[in-house]
Amino acid sequence: MVASKKCRWFVGLPSGLLLVSLWLTSPASAAPFSLFSRKPDGPAIYKQQCAKCHGPAGQGVKGKYNDPLVGDWSTEKLTRYIAKTMPEDKPGSCTGPNADAVARYIHDTFYSRAAQAKTQPARVELVRLTNRQHLLAVADLFRAGEEPKVTSGKGLAAVGYKSRTIRREDKALERNDGKIEFDFGKNRPQWAGEGTNGFALNWTGSVLPDESGDYEFVVKTANGVRLWVNNDEQPLIDGSVSSFKGVEHTATLRLIGGRAYPLRLEFFKTSRDPLANVTLLWQPPHGARQVIPARNLAPERAATTFIIATPFPADDSSVGYERGVSVSKEWDEAVTHVAIEVATYVAKNLDRLTRSKASDKDRAAKVETFCAELVAKAFRRPLTDEQKNLFVTLPLHSAAKPEDGVKRVVLLTLKSPRFLYLGIEGVQSDDFTIAERLSFGLWDSLPDAALTKAAVEGKLRTREQVTEQARRMLADARTRGKMQYFLHHWLQMNHIEDLTKDPSLFPGFTPEIISDLRTSLNLFLDDVVWTESSDYRRLLLEDDFFVNTRLAQFYGITSNATEDFVRVQLDPKQRSGVITHPYLLAAFSYNKSSSPIHRGVFLTRNIVGRALRPPPIAVAFKDGDFKPGMSMREKITELTRSQACQSCHSVINPLGFSLENFDAVGRFRDKDDNRPINAAADYTTDDGGIVRLKGARDVAEFAVKSEHAHNAFIEQLFSQVVKQPMPAYGPDVLNQLRLSFVQSGYNVQKLLVDIVTVSALQGTAKLASTTK
Amino acid sequence: MNALHRRTFLKQAGLSAATLPFITGLPSLGLAAPARPRQRLVFMFSPNGTIPAAYWPDATGTDFQLKEIMTPLAAFKDRMLVLNGVHNKVRGDGDSHMRGMSCLLTGIELFPGNIMGGGGAPAGWASGISIDQEIKNYLQSKDDTRTRFGSLEFGVGVTDRADPWTRMSYAGANKPIAPISDPYQMYEKLYGQMKDKENLQSVLDTVKGDLQKVGKLISAQDRRLLEEHQALVRQMEKEIATAKDQKLRATPPALGEGVADQNDNLPRLSRMQIDLLVNSFVNDMARVATLQFTKSVGGARMNWLDIKEGHHALSHEDKDEAVAAKLVKINQWFAGELAYLVQKLASTPEPGGEGMMLDNTLIVWTNELGRGSSHTLDNIPFLLVGGAPGFSMGRSLKLDKVAHNRLHLALAHAMGHRLETFGKASLCEGGPLKLTAA
Repeated sequence: MVASKKCRWFVGLPSGLLLVSLWLTSPASAAPFSLFSRKPDGPAIYKQQCAKCHGPAGQGVKGKYNDPLVGDWSTEKLTRYIAKTMPEDKPGSCTGPNADAVARYIHDTFYSRAAQAKTQPARVELVRLTNRQHLLAVADLFRAGEEPKVTSGKGLAAVGYKSRTIRREDKALERNDGKIEFDFGKNRPQWAGEGTNGFALNWTGSVLPDESGDYEFVVKTANGVRLWVNNDEQPLIDGSVSSFKGVEHTATLRLIGGRAYPLRLEFFKTSRDPLANVTLLWQPPHGARQVIPARNLAPERAATTFIIATPFPADDSSVGYERGVSVSKEWDEAVTHVAIEVATYVAKNLDRLTRSKASDKDRAAKVETFCAELVAKAFRRPLTDEQKNLFVTLPLHSAAKPEDGVKRVVLLTLKSPRFLYLGIEGVQSDDFTIAERLSFGLWDSLPDAALTKAAVEGKLRTREQVTEQARRMLADARTRGKMQYFLHHWLQMNHIEDLTKDPSLFPGFTPEIISDLRTSLNLFLDDVVWTESSDYRRLLLEDDFFVNTRLAQFYGITSNATEDFVRVQLDPKQRSGVITHPYLLAAFSYNKSSSPIHRGVFLTRNIVGRALRPPPIAVAFKDGDFKPGMSMREKITELTRSQACQSCHSVINPLGFSLENFDAVGRFRDKDDNRPINAAADYTTDDGGIVRLKGARDVAEFAVKSEHAHNAFIEQLFSQVVKQPMPAYGPDVLNQLRLSFVQSGYNVQKLLVDIVTVSALQGTAKLASTTK
Repeated sequence: MNALHRRTFLKQAGLSAATLPFITGLPSLGLAAPARPRQRLVFMFSPNGTIPAAYWPDATGTDFQLKEIMTPLAAFKDRMLVLNGVHNKVRGDGDSHMRGMSCLLTGIELFPGNIMGGGGAPAGWASGISIDQEIKNYLQSKDDTRTRFGSLEFGVGVTDRADPWTRMSYAGANKPIAPISDPYQMYEKLYGQMKDKENLQSVLDTVKGDLQKVGKLISAQDRRLLEEHQALVRQMEKEIATAKDQKLRATPPALGEGVADQNDNLPRLSRMQIDLLVNSFVNDMARVATLQFTKSVGGARMNWLDIKEGHHALSHEDKDEAVAAKLVKINQWFAGELAYLVQKLASTPEPGGEGMMLDNTLIVWTNELGRGSSHTLDNIPFLLVGGAPGFSMGRSLKLDKVAHNRLHLALAHAMGHRLETFGKASLCEGGPLKLTAA
């Protein structure tokens, strides 16, 4: 158990690289090589001098050196380290050929990644759906085959009426409104003409949230309004009765990002209302309350989506990505809640879902057909006769009332391991297993009709067929959702909650600015990844960002920025891709100042792809501890000067210092408290080489050329897509994925297709030719 | 996982105690005898004013004769407190029906708004909380008076329209609460979980079998996870069985099937709702309830009384003798529904306590107007039946034009909530009405 957990830890790490300090015990006798042999005996030296603290197989010894000896230093670097510092109580007693021999033994037996793969063969584990997969799978269970086409950016379709009641003959206006923010004052709008019976406006279309989470919808008005979102029957807000003073109606709704939801807003002014005004706002997750922008609205109506409300306990993410490797009572109860929620929904909407009425003669048959289709969809495979009987026929007939029968089918289905677990067909995978791997890989959800059809027709058997399906699926909005999910994890955006800074030092850094920054970064990521070249390097090297007027003003950018976001070219000497995006710079900063350590750790782990151990001692940064007038760089250098800190901070600090040209809100600066900024530093690479970094762009340039960085990116994407340890798919997967990635010009979309193909076909045997 | 850990975990996961007992247990069965008697409060509303001459007893004190409208309540005369002289003194925007309705339980003005009535300025919703909700919030804030719902809002034939004429309960300013007019919906709210549990229980055996079958398809290393999962299913099965052993004090009433929400079904709907109301009290799901018949300006056609005209239209003509006779019959019918409720409470033993439920239940029958034709908000017919601390029953009182806010204060005090003012503070002068005998 312990061993396998630890194994997961290495393979799941973004880079698989651990900087480990070695502590060797002092020799009780002389180095063990015979007088006559020429070569020192590595295993024997290890056994005699090292095993006492590090364990016979490098697994560590409780109370001595707890951690296993694993990492990615080269043999040479290990040798130097051992010669200089080991054994702990007698450094210098294991040097030269001895150090070399023991280092080689350690490296090849258990320390290196290759050695780990040999000792702990990774395997594809049985996993249950993650919470995200559960949410999306239930939503897609009720998704219609054909979704209406919805194009965001055009606002909502508006129809105006010259009286407060909505009658066709009173229709006086048809147009699109980018956003709903109107103040008509005391007068009638021109299009309503003369009249005494008030006027009305109806807006219809869809709302397209960027991210998943709870959205608070707000309607401010002095008049009558009703708002429907993702529910055509029940208004989310019913404000037909108004107050002249103006009322703020609010209601919160959970939405899945990247999808379209139908929205309708009815507004009417009676003849008695002295004023007329209406504004439609929202507060998105991670965002500030704002008028819903045109880019999140569309005039076409989308179909409704069923979104479960049940909260789930958090998934295990101890290896760096969420995965369903454990079950708990809380999870089981949440699963049951969901099953009841869905059962209630189905029973209530049975007429619509089965396209029949209770009085229909063929009602029972239609209900049974619907149930059988639902179960097959949930299980991602056709039902055998026995399964149909067990999951559909028996429960349907077990209850006195038909609605209860249907409810029982749903309860049984959504509590069944066939819905809850992935890959339970286990030993031999068939066409449907492959379809499931593709859809959960790219969408975190159920296969769609086209994919299921391909599975039925046996068209997922060759690499070409699988790749073709994956390419088709790339175009679906759900892939964008998954890509965003990955990018947010890669850039740690999913953990960012509060970015507020000391208002006396950073006046004007408002919640609106923070919200705009997140949008700006999202737009940038989408823009890079979803163009044809989809070039990973642009994520790090690009010097143009998206800004609106508010951001342009705050960051002193001269541009023709509008209320909506536009691309603006910035000084390439100052800005270089995501690592210089103010949203991340502000996130990796303190309340009052930059934080080279947070920035450095982020760059080390996520951008240049090296792993770090947890710090051996906890040291808090307290600004007051330092002499006044010191620069941040000097403070950090001082703070991390000890040998214990330096094993990691020799890597972290130079990277962190490279971003010192940016203050706590990500503005470019030349000075830190009137002292000129020094952003240059010497960075030690994993093989001990020294690279001079003069600033952010140098870090980015270094990363896009670094194999380590590429590996880290590939491994992170792999983790989020496959949610299984990579070595389980063969010893050479990473290497092959990287070769293909480089060959494709670092195309992220192609990498995604490659990864999901490896996952679907359980290996790389046929990968080499996937990219042209 | 230790207790603290689990709590933090649930908090982080957003799972609150309120959502969890859903599956495993019935919350607040109230089986143990309460530390002190449960006190309950019901507001029953009927619209369009009364016929004063056929309603108000002539005499005051304990020795009084019931007039025609109240005859269905004759058996409970000694449990009644007739309060003449209570005025709704809230003025401001809105016509009399609107203020009569939306200020009835709130005791505070309406906001100006876009709803134009038959007079006065147009108005919006009430600008404050209603007394039933105020008391409910108080009871829900205390461990020993908290119940699953706190309050339940029943409707009978309330139209599906939301405006100041149709709402008397308010969770706060601008926050009207819609009564539930459909008894099946109310049943679902009260007892739907039991049905869910029954359905759930019926499938758990198959789920277990399925887990076992699937377990055979996978490797031994992976089976552990499914075994843990199976253990959880077994545990849930046991918990449901245990919960089932804890019987409800009163089984849910059997509702007739397919009674549509329409005018001619009002008598049946009324009885279904009253049955559910009493049942919910026996099972201690709430301590406060409202029972709203139609709405202010309600135009029910009481064909079952052989009256073909709508109630509201008739109420304008109450000076006509023949019309007045019809209105008396209509109000008598409401009194009869009240009598049904009172009778049920009087014949049901107090759960886990002494005496009958009526002893600890105070019902306030009220109206948005004093009289239909004049649209007066003076002398609102307030009739109290049942029992509560501080209320000496079996009397008819003539009070001196007191604001109804003071009655609300007295009701709050009887429920243990010692409010100093409620609604419009200036109308609370004099404090709670003193309704104990001498």
